[in-house]
Amino acid sequence: MIYLDHAATSFPKPDRVLRAMDDFARASGVNPGRGGHRRALEAEAMIDETRGLLARLFRLSRPERVIFTLNATDALNMAIKGLLKPGDHVITSVLEHNSVSRPLNRLEREGVITVTRIDACPDHRIDPADVMRAFTPATRLVALTQVSNVTGTIQPVGEVGKIVRDRNALFLVDAAQGAGVVPLDMQADFVDLLAFAGHKSLQGPTGTGGLLVGERAELSPWREGGTGGDSESPVQPSGYPHFMEGGTPNVHGIAGLREGVRILLERGVERVLAHERKLLSVFLGALNNAGNFQWYGADRVIAGRGGEGRVGLVCFNLTGFAPAELAAVLDSQFDIAVRAGLHCAPGAHRHLGTAPLGAVRVSVGIETTEEDVVTAAHALNEIAGA
Amino acid sequence: MSLSNDNNPSAVKVPARYSRQVLFEGIGEEGQARICASRVVLVGCGALGTVQASLLVRAGVGTVRLIDRDFVEESNLQRQILYDESDVKGLLPKAVAAEKKLRAVNSLVTVEGLVEDVNRVSVCRLLDGFDLIMDATDNFDVRFLVNDYAVKNRIPWIYGACVGSEGLMFPVLPGETACLRCVFESAPPAGMSPTCDTSGVIGPVVGIVASLQVAEALKILSGHRERVSRRITRFDLWENQYNGIDLPSREESCPCCGKRDFLYLEGSMGADTSTLCGRNSVQVSRREGGPIDLQALAARLAPLAKLEGNRFLLRATIDGHLLTVFADGRAIIGGTNDAGIAKSIYARYVGA
Repeated sequence: MIYLDHAATSFPKPDRVLRAMDDFARASGVNPGRGGHRRALEAEAMIDETRGLLARLFRLSRPERVIFTLNATDALNMAIKGLLKPGDHVITSVLEHNSVSRPLNRLEREGVITVTRIDACPDHRIDPADVMRAFTPATRLVALTQVSNVTGTIQPVGEVGKIVRDRNALFLVDAAQGAGVVPLDMQADFVDLLAFAGHKSLQGPTGTGGLLVGERAELSPWREGGTGGDSESPVQPSGYPHFMEGGTPNVHGIAGLREGVRILLERGVERVLAHERKLLSVFLGALNNAGNFQWYGADRVIAGRGGEGRVGLVCFNLTGFAPAELAAVLDSQFDIAVRAGLHCAPGAHRHLGTAPLGAVRVSVGIETTEEDVVTAAHALNEIAGA
Repeated sequence: MSLSNDNNPSAVKVPARYSRQVLFEGIGEEGQARICASRVVLVGCGALGTVQASLLVRAGVGTVRLIDRDFVEESNLQRQILYDESDVKGLLPKAVAAEKKLRAVNSLVTVEGLVEDVNRVSVCRLLDGFDLIMDATDNFDVRFLVNDYAVKNRIPWIYGACVGSEGLMFPVLPGETACLRCVFESAPPAGMSPTCDTSGVIGPVVGIVASLQVAEALKILSGHRERVSRRITRFDLWENQYNGIDLPSREESCPCCGKRDFLYLEGSMGADTSTLCGRNSVQVSRREGGPIDLQALAARLAPLAKLEGNRFLLRATIDGHLLTVFADGRAIIGGTNDAGIAKSIYARYVGA
């Protein structure tokens, strides 16, 4: 199988990640807890080390404010529902994944908050000036994706962050797609809340994710319960990370995530991004006639600028095939896995004009080879010629 | 069977309207009383179901439940004997139209028409509490599901199938006789077998298969399991062939009645559906499926549908739906988000 659905989850996971999970599960995969037995302390130390690595990756000065969650959706819900109060105004964009837009939409429908949704520009980026104009005295939060999972474009996070910081609101970045591919610095980019998926470009297993909570953000715990310490306290202990983390954590998953983050720190996120852009350009170069396809959000790649401003995912359609049909042909006849449809981001597809059927998305990752994308391009050549 | 708990069925006075049936020595007053106290569920209320329902309600079965998710269409009237043109005009669900007519036939019978899809999620809710299950469906997945349910719960059921001028019938007495999976290991490969929607069917076949099924039903319901056929009855009206073969013996290695692995109930066998992201289409795939011959399928669908395609796929516009079939047997059914409708269209036009 040729797997080109890394934007959904990376696959296969690097051997090092799989081995790290196996080793940890066999040696000390127990329930962590302060003041516990040796194995429990090892598990706690492993998790704390992972917090430290993630804090280093995203330049958060307080590692204890790295909160582990089930996935990016869980982290985004934790941020949005732990922060917003009646009367708050939120600025977001049409490019958001449902994991941002659905929690906001519900709070808006229930009359708790008001929401302004910024349109994307023709280059599929959000204009920071539009964010500035959308501010009201009640604006408490700006929630923006770092990288659209549909257009693949990198958003001007730092510029928006500066605007938000100057206006004393909080900035939530959905880094599900960008974490591990596009460098992000919570301090330099003025990010207050960063939600990430552990199982995409960070190379961890599914079931891992997290929320990094900057010092300006004060959240209410969204999930309360046992914390392995302070058990006498009738409510959630106030110290991070336990303030936000109730219940047994995903120890095995975090052990894999730790190894994935180590790989990225060794390799450098910039090199991952360069690898993805190279693959996209090889893919497009191997197509006989890229003009047979409709490309969405891929303008810069096709213009031959080395993929500047985007990551290694691209959406397209082929005349004569519905997106789901093209994906089914690639899967059933060529054993190539891609993802068709709306990619849980209907607003982004409306922006592209591809709603309601959506498009076919090809997305690469660190384990993708040039041979993989060339084979996929040849399959598309064959289908386009049929 | 719950009937065996009845104190003394022979003491019950049976209504006079059943006199001809009571006179028949195989049934008698006692058998009729058992029939009147029994509960039968029909999975499907199309060709086989309408004949079965009519006979069972007239015979005085206490409760008859009909389950069918489809609506009456003009092309049903040729063989589905409970329906008429007003049902087509009224866009009535089959279960609703049938219930109304059957109530007028026999007010002593409790008739329940349910507009529902029988699938592994709904099967227990819909079939629990019945003494006998009648097969009146048009597809193998539902039959295997019913077989799993029936064997697991030790409820007898009666298989019936017809296409063209051929009919097939056999009863399944769980624990006694072979089950469906002893006879057919799994559904025939998709796209290979004729269906009533691709190859047609003549009315008399339907009437005969359903009548054979109801005859077996009356034996079971009246307390005469020893009379139940142990054979597969098979005939072809056009070829004047009437033959049968003995049911195979029960196999200890049968995954269903031998090992009691209920794979269709659990969902690890049978058609798999997923609603596709991007509006109004459902993908149907078969776990145990293999490749299908798109050209052969195109030849069978050509008289029925507007076709187009290439070597990778076949598209058929049929019944207001766009059916796209791929060479590995999967299909995308456009024009619905309903997995039940999608599976029904797949079963009718691709097969299994």
